[in-house]
Amino acid sequence: MAKEFNVPPVVFPAGGNPGAAHQRRLPTPPFPPQRFANPSIPFMSFDIGSAAASTSFSAPQFAGNTIGIGSSFEDEPPLLEELGINTRQIWSKTVSIINPFRVNPDLHEDADLSGPFLFLLSFGLFQLLAGKLHFGIILGWVTMAALFLYVVFNMLAGRNGNLDLYRCVSLIGYCMLPMVILSAIALFLPQGGVGILVIAGVLVIWSTRVCTRLLVELASCGDEHRGLIAYACFLIYTLFSLLVIF
Amino acid sequence: MYDSLGAQTGLPRPPPNPQPNPFGNAFVGAGSGLIRGGLGAYGEKILGSSSEYVQSNISRYFSDPQYYFQVNDHYVRNKLKVVLFPFLHRGHWSRITEPVGGRLSYKPPIYDINAPDLYIPLMAFGTYVVLAGISLGLHGKFSPEALNWLFFKGLVGWFLQVSLLKMTLFSLGSGEAPLLDIVAYAGYTFTGMCIAVLGKITWSYSYYFLMPWTCLCIGVFLVKTMKRVLFVEVRSYDSSRHHYLLLFIALAQFPLFLWLCNISVNWLF
Repeated sequence: MAKEFNVPPVVFPAGGNPGAAHQRRLPTPPFPPQRFANPSIPFMSFDIGSAAASTSFSAPQFAGNTIGIGSSFEDEPPLLEELGINTRQIWSKTVSIINPFRVNPDLHEDADLSGPFLFLLSFGLFQLLAGKLHFGIILGWVTMAALFLYVVFNMLAGRNGNLDLYRCVSLIGYCMLPMVILSAIALFLPQGGVGILVIAGVLVIWSTRVCTRLLVELASCGDEHRGLIAYACFLIYTLFSLLVIF
Repeated sequence: MYDSLGAQTGLPRPPPNPQPNPFGNAFVGAGSGLIRGGLGAYGEKILGSSSEYVQSNISRYFSDPQYYFQVNDHYVRNKLKVVLFPFLHRGHWSRITEPVGGRLSYKPPIYDINAPDLYIPLMAFGTYVVLAGISLGLHGKFSPEALNWLFFKGLVGWFLQVSLLKMTLFSLGSGEAPLLDIVAYAGYTFTGMCIAVLGKITWSYSYYFLMPWTCLCIGVFLVKTMKRVLFVEVRSYDSSRHHYLLLFIALAQFPLFLWLCNISVNWLF
């Protein structure tokens, strides 16, 4: 810009000449340069893109700085990818749980905890809507249930069992989807009635069926222990349904 | 009599040879996998070099937990029948032994109905906790903290039962039965308790009939088990003391059942 502003000298506590003080200032985010008709108002305007700036600033330095910071900011991967949250995978896994009769174990090969975390959070939120503060309880019970299932499954499977705790928690968390649906439905039904008991029964059986099939197919347990594993999963999900019903 | 690593002190020994049954010495696989998986990144560092020492120490006290989980559907169903209706069991009560590697060891639960297992006690305990939660809820007293409290109360009851059985063994001068065997036998009482609590839930008057009945059944089961299996280990055979102790075991079931089947939030009643 050719216009020259009357900038009063700014005195910084550290001293130094005003010219150097100006140079130390970082540029603000780009905004359209505003020109005041009244030159007595001290206003410093930056035009970041332009190479020519008013002579009281050292423009190439600022331009270089901003371009340097801008490119490193643009090069960073998106936040969700950095955190390892793959929303597409979470969605496809969730959709696969919805069908209790056909289970797709390939989707659950790589376990992740962000989907279960979302489910547990929404479970807690629906419980909160019903007036019960159960966030800590849900977290504690899921941990204990995962440990229990991990021990029982690995002991039953013997040498063939290759279930690790991470995958166990992931599977239990994903199969918690029917429980989340139960807690949502329970908001609209009278408490302690027959309706909610019947619906809870159906959803618990859904959870158990999906969880057992995923466990057996993912961790190569073998069919002879299917009923035994199913009973363990049934106990776990009945426990969580108790939180909703009572 | 029991296939354990014996009474060596201190020196790390290599794991024993794999047994010819199809599950092998799976404690090496499943157990160390359990421990390593649980400890995550530090597993290799802590257990890598000393895993044999740890396993030998654990084996001395715990005698291979994988043995107790070699079960299948058929075994579970028949064992539940034996536990809940012990007077209908026509066969003998002693465990079948087989010579393994020059030492006599017991056959795993799949092949022997009288062998103890840990699957049924664990599931019975879990069922007891869930049923107790349902019972609390039906009386309007459910809260998650109450259920946590019931869980610990059940654990205390299990521990009391284990100590009762262990004390009777000690008083006869022999305490050599593996700890997990006794834990398994003590855990079978939870199946009876589940039936009693289930009766309480469905029709409250049935509780007054079911509770003494299952108490009696579990008492008979424990007496017959202790008589045949565990007292084989005892050197001296003192008949009257034997019988008094067995009677004491059967009678001690009654207060235990009263305490645990009466589902409430208080400590005692």
